[in-house]
Amino acid sequence: MKKLFKSEASLNFASSVTAIIAGLIIGLIVIIIANPSNALNGFLTLIQGGFSNGTRGIGQVLNNATPIILTGLSVGFAFKTGLFNIGTPGQFVVGAFVAIYIGVEWTFLPGAIHWLVAIIFAALAGALWGCVPGIMKAYLNVNEVIASIIMNYIGMYTVNYIVPLTVFNINKNETLPVASSAVIPQFGIEHLIPNVNGGIVIAIILVIVIHIILNKSVLGYELKACGFNRDASKYAGINAKQKIVCSMMIAGALAGIGGALVYLGGTGKCLAVVDTLAPEGFNGIAVALLGLSSPFGILAAGLFIAHLTIGGSLMQIYGFIPQIVDIIIAIIIYFSAFALMVKGILANGFHFKKKPKVKEGQ
Amino acid sequence: MSDILFLFQQTMFFFIPLLIVALGGLFSERSGIINIALEGMMIIGAFAGIFFIHFFQQSMDPQICLLVALLIAGLSGTLFALFHAIASINMKADQTISGTALNMFAPAFCIFVARLVQQTQQVEFSNTFRITKVPVLGDIPFIGEFLFQNTYITNFLGILILVLSWLILYKTRFGLRLRSCGELPQAADSAGINVYKIRYAGTLISGFLAGMGGLIFIVPTSTNFNADVAGYGFLALAVLIFGQWKPWHIAGAAFFFGFMKTIASAGLPFLASLSIPNYFYKITPYVATLIVLAFTSKNSAAPRAEGEPFDKGKR
Amino acid sequence: MENVIEMRHITKVFPGIIANDDVTIELRKGEIHALLGENGAGKSTLMSVLFGLYQPEKGEILKNGHVVQINNPNDANNLGIGMVHQHFKLVHNFTVLENIVLGAEDTKHGFLYMKNARKKVEEISQRYNLKVDCDALISDITVGMQQRVEIIKMLYRDNEVLIFDEPTAVLTPQEIEELMQIMRDLAKEGKSILFITHKLNEIKEVADRCTVLRKGKYIGTIDVATTTKEEMSEMMVGRKINLTTEKTESHPTDDILVVKNLSVSKKGHKNPVNNISFSVRKGEIVCIAGIDGNGQTELVQAITGLMPILNGTILLNGKDITHASIRQRNVSGISHIPEDRHKHGLILDYPLSYNLVLQRYFEPQFSQHGFLKFEEIEKYSEKLIEQYDIRSGQGSKTIARSMSGGNQQKAIIAREIDKNPDCLIAVQPTRGLDVGAIEYIHKQIIRERDEGKAVLLVSLELDEVMNLSDRILVIYEGEIVGEFNPKEITVQELGLYMAGSKRGDTNEKAV
Repeated sequence: MKKLFKSEASLNFASSVTAIIAGLIIGLIVIIIANPSNALNGFLTLIQGGFSNGTRGIGQVLNNATPIILTGLSVGFAFKTGLFNIGTPGQFVVGAFVAIYIGVEWTFLPGAIHWLVAIIFAALAGALWGCVPGIMKAYLNVNEVIASIIMNYIGMYTVNYIVPLTVFNINKNETLPVASSAVIPQFGIEHLIPNVNGGIVIAIILVIVIHIILNKSVLGYELKACGFNRDASKYAGINAKQKIVCSMMIAGALAGIGGALVYLGGTGKCLAVVDTLAPEGFNGIAVALLGLSSPFGILAAGLFIAHLTIGGSLMQIYGFIPQIVDIIIAIIIYFSAFALMVKGILANGFHFKKKPKVKEGQ
Repeated sequence: MSDILFLFQQTMFFFIPLLIVALGGLFSERSGIINIALEGMMIIGAFAGIFFIHFFQQSMDPQICLLVALLIAGLSGTLFALFHAIASINMKADQTISGTALNMFAPAFCIFVARLVQQTQQVEFSNTFRITKVPVLGDIPFIGEFLFQNTYITNFLGILILVLSWLILYKTRFGLRLRSCGELPQAADSAGINVYKIRYAGTLISGFLAGMGGLIFIVPTSTNFNADVAGYGFLALAVLIFGQWKPWHIAGAAFFFGFMKTIASAGLPFLASLSIPNYFYKITPYVATLIVLAFTSKNSAAPRAEGEPFDKGKR
Repeated sequence: MENVIEMRHITKVFPGIIANDDVTIELRKGEIHALLGENGAGKSTLMSVLFGLYQPEKGEILKNGHVVQINNPNDANNLGIGMVHQHFKLVHNFTVLENIVLGAEDTKHGFLYMKNARKKVEEISQRYNLKVDCDALISDITVGMQQRVEIIKMLYRDNEVLIFDEPTAVLTPQEIEELMQIMRDLAKEGKSILFITHKLNEIKEVADRCTVLRKGKYIGTIDVATTTKEEMSEMMVGRKINLTTEKTESHPTDDILVVKNLSVSKKGHKNPVNNISFSVRKGEIVCIAGIDGNGQTELVQAITGLMPILNGTILLNGKDITHASIRQRNVSGISHIPEDRHKHGLILDYPLSYNLVLQRYFEPQFSQHGFLKFEEIEKYSEKLIEQYDIRSGQGSKTIARSMSGGNQQKAIIAREIDKNPDCLIAVQPTRGLDVGAIEYIHKQIIRERDEGKAVLLVSLELDEVMNLSDRILVIYEGEIVGEFNPKEITVQELGLYMAGSKRGDTNEKAV
């Protein structure tokens, strides 16, 4: 029995690796079909990814990884509590907007805390967006996936409506850049990697914080109990409804912070007014699945995917199209979905009982 | 009067694709498979269809070209849906995750192929498909002007699909069996019905309709395709819920949503004077769906076995 | 007489259990044949074999004298074998007619053609006196009518062997009366009926013959008319080997748990718990005996707060806890060894130590400032592991899922007893465990009593009931039908009460 459990843990890891390998192999096939003569060089560039450009490349990886680590944490945290938060794009964009608004407008704040205040409010905005599906799930038994998808669009349209009324740069159809006091400091890591944003430091801190919440705190104990077995947590006297709302709020806050970190990063990037959902949100799902929903796993998965993305854009030298990376990521998610089934079979195999059927209303 | 005519014809541009795609979702969900990949299926279908038009429209009669393109769009959507079916039915994967993967795959794949073939990611085409006036019918006063002038063949196709969907779901053996698989697959199974086959059929039909719907959405509203259907797949999902998984209700919901979209994008003079921001019309469908969800949660019309993999071995 | 079905020497093995051990049963044409046995006797397994849901390891099935192979329900159907499952297989938003024709539809020009079907259903309905409304939705009709739909479904397919799996479990007395009449009519028309039950009255009323199974083994087939209920009861429960556990006379004192007029409702069904009143005193073990599905689960869940109640009051130590939260009940002196240790008792993916503090993690002993005190939890867990001899691969760190059933149960018992409750509620605490573990758990429960706890035991095992209890309450169809002193009643007599064929006048006595 002991062996079985161990093998389940390693199977988890193995399934992630399998999904990655499957994604890369299919990616390679696509590359070969697209351009056989440059395929090898192209693929090597892809694999080399962020390591192609010395510290500059590493800085880029860290910067690109920052938002998807946060959205990955958001999805993963909700997963741990038995919820599928597909609402990260919406939470991300409202967080981004609130951060930018405060970054542009609240210049009365001292520089030392301006960026921090912006991040905190972004977190609150994300939490607000997350709590709507949470409340609907807990108290009305509405499927959180559907409610989250709808909140994505409401979030996107709301931001696109408010931006032109507030912090708008009409010439570029995007927001104004944030004040320099709202840019996240680099915390000294710029001495190691010159082009890095401070956001990665906050991302890593949050990875640790979420790790602590999940694994050390009473709250984490309760949330995970609800995620593993809602009946038993009810038996234990845990208020499962409250925990669902709480979990979705924390998840939303994380995605909201993700939005803040991108636009307070000091790269001069501004939020464009387009009717498209934030891709960082959906990438978070890939990151969470690959990282097996564990905070450090998510950190690694976020870095990996950022690394691939850089590789994808470098492949353009050989005439390849960077979307190959999105294709590979999608394939990785697709195979990760299978892996859940393999794990399910294993679990059902040895506790010998059909998983209680959870019927969810729409 | 001309305002109303304009509004009506504009609404059709949004109503018809929403209707077809939502009906696609209906077939899948009624068989028990959640399909959040409608967006991706639309993109794949639109891409294949527009690509065909791009290359062949010079050498063909426009209406025939469009019909062939629609068929190609539908078949590409079906092929794409096959992956969702394999994951959901054979592999018993989480249907939401599989759908998410397909949604991410579709635009990336389309951009990739487009740029591979023609360097740019936009696939251009010219809209030669508008029917100025249907012979004879177009001359009927009032009705002719509304329904048979400045129209597209796809408008009629949409209505046809609506009627067919209703007939198939409620009046045929296949429809009865399909619906039973979405509600209580164990009942279907014990009555000798192959639940797997039926669910495959439901998912593939949904791919066909969504693929076709993607093309139908692009043709009248644009002159190029940029691997994007502007979230209409997700909106169709909302239409499906708002329409409570019933064909005629879905038609009503699609019309309402399409109307809101039209107002938001077309900016009519008599509505402009009300000075309600576009934003209001844009979010109304979503907010309305959320409210419907909240109020119907106790008595949800959603297929009961939706999202649950069926395992013949377990009873 | 001609045998329609013969099942010869059927053996069906599931991992760890022989569900049917060389069972033979013969069904004659036109008879009603009851299949009697306790929970777990193997009745349902045997019928599932006949219906093609399971393949037997050994044995053969004969239809009209010919050996047949039944690989799935379709095969069974083609052989004219139909089954009404305990859980109806009806689509809730289909009409009665649609449910009946599903899988056997007529079509005309590609469209459904219901006219002939409707005619046939109406004929069947008249011939067998099965009143149904073809156009009503399943969700709108009573459970009794749903059952009639299931019966018509079989007749519509011209089945001649009809299996009923505990058909009366969900019905009201009037509906049961109607069903009995329907079964008689069916038999008269030449249908052969197999009827799973553990209710002796029903057998006496309708069955011609009865085959008794006990613990997977064939005990015998009897002629119902010439056999008394007492004899059948004895065949069903057997002469139990007494695993006697030593225990002294109980000396109960004050009321600890008092339940007054408790009812629990269930949508679309009769109340699973109906106006139950009883009390459990300090220093006694009160046992709720009964056959599975007679309201035990609901009763316990109502007392522990897992299920909302319709009306009634629950007092603990004189304090009204009727509307208290689960947590309040947990901390004010109720311990609960749940029926399903995987569903409620444990979080299988949590380590043992986490599971041992499942209702106490928030106490200052185990947490501070919102953080868990791992060392304390570990220490406490080691103590319980030591004290209660819980065996696990990696001690406190073992994931509960990887432990054996017996040790999982020991962990739950350790946790519940160590909470030092005033009232211990134990539901089937020894289910699925081996003899050693059973003995250990019985001793713990008696020790709790001797330490002055009030113990409420729910058990389906008559051995356990007789061994442990100081007072027995028999529950039947959601009501207490008798209260006994275990020293003054035999197992056989208890069996009669549990099977609903005897009824004491109880409510006054039980309170």
